Amino acid sequence: MSEIVNIRFLAPGTKITLLDGATAEVTANPGDGVWLFARCLAAPNDPARVGAEEMIFAQDVAAVVAAD
Amino acid sequence: MDGARHQGYRPGLVDLAAGMISREIFVNEEIYQQELERIFARAWFFIGHESQIPAAGDYFVSGIGEESVILTRDRQGEVRVFLNSCRHRGMKVCRYDEGNTPVFTCPYHGWSYGLDGRLVGVPYFREAYGGRLDRSRWGLVEVAQLCRYKGTVWASWDPQAPPFLEYLGDFVRYLDLTLDAWDGGEGGTEVLGGVQKWRIPCNWKFPAENFCGDSYHNISHRSVDLVGIGPSGSGRRDMEERRLARRLHVAFPERGHQTGLYLLPQDRSTPPAYQNSSLVSEYFRECEERRRRRRGEWGRIIGSPGEIFPNTALHPRQPRTIAVWHPRGAHQTEVWRWYLVDREAPAEVKDFLRQYYIRYSGPAGMTEQDDMENWNYAHMASRGTIARRYPYNYEQGLGSEIADYEWQGLRIPGIVVDLSAAQSSEHNLRNLYRRWAEFMEAESWSDLATWRHGAAQRSGR
Repeated sequence: MSEIVNIRFLAPGTKITLLDGATAEVTANPGDGVWLFARCLAAPNDPARVGAEEMIFAQDVAAVVAAD
Repeated sequence: MDGARHQGYRPGLVDLAAGMISREIFVNEEIYQQELERIFARAWFFIGHESQIPAAGDYFVSGIGEESVILTRDRQGEVRVFLNSCRHRGMKVCRYDEGNTPVFTCPYHGWSYGLDGRLVGVPYFREAYGGRLDRSRWGLVEVAQLCRYKGTVWASWDPQAPPFLEYLGDFVRYLDLTLDAWDGGEGGTEVLGGVQKWRIPCNWKFPAENFCGDSYHNISHRSVDLVGIGPSGSGRRDMEERRLARRLHVAFPERGHQTGLYLLPQDRSTPPAYQNSSLVSEYFRECEERRRRRRGEWGRIIGSPGEIFPNTALHPRQPRTIAVWHPRGAHQTEVWRWYLVDREAPAEVKDFLRQYYIRYSGPAGMTEQDDMENWNYAHMASRGTIARRYPYNYEQGLGSEIADYEWQGLRIPGIVVDLSAAQSSEHNLRNLYRRWAEFMEAESWSDLATWRHGAAQRSGR
């Protein structure tokens, strides 16, 4: 079972994976525990999203990508 | 003049000609519900001060009537005021008093709004709504009109209300006494510290009428005067001008605004004040000199408590504050009090004033405690079946007002009562209730903005 991600304290620059398989990098965090602003790095289901800044809903975040 | 134009809201409730007002308008819950619609959805209201939101994303949660509103500054630097209620299920989108944020997010289902009020985040927008929800139609509700005046922010829900400065009329000159710096510099004030908020078990009109210029109740502050909390070590404030100046009440019948003031003789300077500190006293002396030079004859005016209809109180001098009487039902009022100081004043002056202000005002202030006790028990003792049968008396000073008051070369805008001999008058209080009754009866702003119709038409009403 995967861990629930507490998005509230994710700093800009953090990379995350989403439930739809996309990967994104946090650009801003309002700290409300509900939304993140993130730039899409990869989106296997919709390549047109790559490079766009999106609002990411907390329940769509699958995991934090471990730092290299 | 009282009652000539207006026979009162539901005849018998507000009888201005006889100087009687029914207790029902203070304790009747049906009347209170009508006030929310007819007054609090149509008038102009003080929201806050720009110094509370200097940067983009700063916000301060304020109120209009019973409604919570968010005062914020968007990314373009524009000041905005929104209803603090999510368009999805109504939850407050901001539950803090103040702060900074890039978005206002509803904690219930997660709808999120930008600083410009636009709906920017909808959970499962594509999945649950099929991407078809028209987000442009579901932004935060914004006030119909907003006005920034000398650092203060005012708003109205009513698009038909006249612009704020027209709503004020010539009363703006008296508002300036609170908002300009002590040396007369335009809008040179800022909010000192936080906003004090507390609740009193009384109808909102008790404090509102008190700040219209009810100096008759000074006896209830006798103990504070005896203690001597004033900034010169005696009384509750420096009152030397009372010996020198004409003491006036000024009312604007068509607007419902009113204030007290002092008018100094031509050849007299403002008496010394703040003598508990030589530094502070000297600061105010220099400011007064500059103010007299800058304002000319108008510099002879010294401010005194006043009220902008319906629920914004001005306390322009000692202490310098703005209060809003937020209704919380017919039987409860939530007071919010802002404290103002000169933005450019030395830190020592601001600190001296801060200490004096909290001795005087707010829930722990000695003078305000007297007031709260009066309003609390007056309201409580007016709720009973028997008590409600007997109106309050507002006869004091009936017929003593002067339309074109002038003294030693200075004409005073508004309808004036000279209290120098009479000591006290309830003319300003009657003025508040005249306007209150007009709001309660008028169907639209075309009935309320009587000054637009011309004097001839007005006299024929």
